[in-house]
Amino acid sequence: MFNYIVRRVLATIPVMAIVALFVFSLLYIAPGDPAAVIAGDQATPDDVERIRASLGLDRPFLVRFGEWVFRILQGDMGVSIFTNLPVTTMIQQRIEPTLSLMVLTVILAVSVAIPLGVIAAWKQGTLIDRAVMGMAVLGFSVPVFVVGYLLAYIFALELDWLPVQGYTALSEGLWPWLENLILPAVALGGVYIALIARITRATMLEVLSQDYIRTARAKGAGQGSILFLHALKNAAVPIVTVIGIGIALLIGGAVVTESVFAIPGLGRLTVDAILRRDYPVIQGVVLLFSFVYVLVNLGIDLVYTLFDPRIRY
Amino acid sequence: MIQRRALMLGTGATLAMPRVVGAQGSAARTLRFIPQGNLANIDPIWTTTTLARNHALMVFDTLFGLGRDFKPKPQMAEGAETSADGLTLTIKLRPELRFHDATPVRAQDCIASITRWSKRDVLGQRLGQLLEEMKPLEDDRFEIRLKRPWPGLIGALGKASANLCAIMPERLARTDPFTQVTEVVGSGPYRFRADQWVPGSLAAYERNADYVARDEPRDFLAGGKRVYFDRVEWRVMPDPATAAAALQAGEADWWETPLADLLPVLRRNRDIAVEVVNTAGALGVLRFNHLHPPFDRVEVRRALFPAIDQKSFMQAALGEDPALWQVPAGAFTPGTPLANDTGLEILSGPRDLAKAQAALKASGYDGRKVVVLQPSDFPTLAALAEVAADTMRKVGFTVDLQSMDWGTLVQRRASREPPEKGGWNVFCTTWEGLDVSVPGSHQPLRGNGAQGWFGWATSDPREKLREAWFDAPDAAAEKRIAEALQALVWEEAPFIPLGLLRPPQAYRRSLTNMVTGGPPIFWGVRRG
Repeated sequence: MFNYIVRRVLATIPVMAIVALFVFSLLYIAPGDPAAVIAGDQATPDDVERIRASLGLDRPFLVRFGEWVFRILQGDMGVSIFTNLPVTTMIQQRIEPTLSLMVLTVILAVSVAIPLGVIAAWKQGTLIDRAVMGMAVLGFSVPVFVVGYLLAYIFALELDWLPVQGYTALSEGLWPWLENLILPAVALGGVYIALIARITRATMLEVLSQDYIRTARAKGAGQGSILFLHALKNAAVPIVTVIGIGIALLIGGAVVTESVFAIPGLGRLTVDAILRRDYPVIQGVVLLFSFVYVLVNLGIDLVYTLFDPRIRY
Repeated sequence: MIQRRALMLGTGATLAMPRVVGAQGSAARTLRFIPQGNLANIDPIWTTTTLARNHALMVFDTLFGLGRDFKPKPQMAEGAETSADGLTLTIKLRPELRFHDATPVRAQDCIASITRWSKRDVLGQRLGQLLEEMKPLEDDRFEIRLKRPWPGLIGALGKASANLCAIMPERLARTDPFTQVTEVVGSGPYRFRADQWVPGSLAAYERNADYVARDEPRDFLAGGKRVYFDRVEWRVMPDPATAAAALQAGEADWWETPLADLLPVLRRNRDIAVEVVNTAGALGVLRFNHLHPPFDRVEVRRALFPAIDQKSFMQAALGEDPALWQVPAGAFTPGTPLANDTGLEILSGPRDLAKAQAALKASGYDGRKVVVLQPSDFPTLAALAEVAADTMRKVGFTVDLQSMDWGTLVQRRASREPPEKGGWNVFCTTWEGLDVSVPGSHQPLRGNGAQGWFGWATSDPREKLREAWFDAPDAAAEKRIAEALQALVWEEAPFIPLGLLRPPQAYRRSLTNMVTGGPPIFWGVRRG
């Protein structure tokens, strides 16, 4: 197992290298010019040229790429073209809100979707099953921003239960932190709940038709024990896989959710950086997301062994 | 109905109440402002963005400031004296001036700041051309000696539009003007809290307790800058619906640029005022690329005039309410001293599409594709481009309206290549009213070709008139020059004015004493 983990961690290096080359090349060929954005509307073309030169944006691709890779290898992601702040500082400023949002969303989604999926499978063909699957279709179909606006309108503006926007650090207190995240997590969790609930139901249906479930029933095991101990554990591998895949979905959804609820997270940082062509920030954030995604996949692979002892690495 | 406070109690949040009460107290002394965008850079010399200028107005002070009458008045300067030959301006500083790092403001700081500014700003560059010498006379007194008189020098030093002549410590002002300063140290009424700055989310300012306001009533960007808030927070909200909701819920006090579509909702709220604060507004501009056909020919450019309906442009940008825009608008910002009616009937007279079509036919336009750039992420500019494209199609142009984000557009418009090779023919933008109120900073008016603003119009007569404006001895002479320049705009069509936009701002009625005239100003305003 240890050797496997080491191999997988080492395997992230070429993956990250390819991501780095891809991101750098893509940004190089993409239209847009940070110097022109910095210079503003009043600037003349000469001003733009001077700024471009001062930022080193007029140098050849290979020189810039080489310098960037050299810095990255030393753990230096560079400095934002616009804010003059180190990219690592900007990421540090933004990582807590995004992490909080994602963790809360995952907790919410898993704790709601798995019981719903299990119940839908147990009550297959009944009104309950149809209601759960109907909600799942709704969760898939309604865009995150629409859910976000609706929630904000109802629970913040009309009922005044929760704030419309913003983020409060966990260090400021549990409730202030939670207060700002409930609506975004519910909005973002909709698709995720739908995804997990559907896969849970489908997998559970398959497992519930297995011989060993019949045997458990014959032995007089209770319904709860059959569903959650015998069936769910055996259905867990595909569910865990989907939860892992869904993390990527969450990263994408976080961009929209953070905009709708004005949460200063990595999603907004990415969008702002792309709109302004702040290359060092885009490169830094994409590398970070790629690394997180690789780690999540590794974590999922390891979790498989907990649910299915036959899986060995 | 269960209110938020009740829910908090019900969920056991009572333990947090003392902190909440404390926070409410500090909230009353905090002004929460939603700016028009993200403050991404903080050096008002390095960038010409409006946001950086607005930020600079809080943190930095200027030697002179514009009054409500758009005339410069002493601000950091205690007084200024121009020599009889008009070649030397001697400025004496107010004695109580201190930078935020507690060092006194000295003549050397002012000279270094003016020097840096003169490398970037359009009026500063004029000073650079005329400058013989700048030298300190004492710690609080310095002189600017010119090669020839420039009556507009004080006005340039007190200009309100980007780039502001922000005074900063000499050690920072010595930074290359094409490189961003590493610290924000001014002497203005607010200190920038760099340690709390989260670009894209929050920019925080604290009252500068050491600031000594002039013992005068406030007067736009001049007079006594008295501050009534301990803290101002710029809270960036990229989503207009969220900003509107935050304002309605009392989570924000002031929104600089409410979306036109959301104004009815805001107006229905009794606690919110919607009004034009920036009365100088912004001039809509349709800009031609003069380097490539068909707009390299004046006949083609002029053919559009009879079809341009400024009202349509303004309605598309800001809606039906005529209080939010002004037409007709000529080459200079309506309502400012140099605005005039010379030849304005070219835009104010009855619109005549047939005349425009005939003029285009007579111009010899060969039906080639015309590329119009449209920034999809700026609703106002996108609307202007949409109407421009529609008008041009009606006149008979073959229009290719290309939608792109602003970041792409600003690169694209800098391209001098032909449209079919990544260049362009037309784009629409807005110019801050203060910028285009005088010929000196009016970039679309210029005729300096390759050295000029995007579109690269060339016109010796316009350049000569601009030069003459710098030397104009009095307001009457300035006005005559402005009239001649406007006549040339109709004749040479370097751009077409599309109307004056006066986008409203929305704020909680708990705020009073808002300073109207131009950019958002955070002195004078108070709560209750």
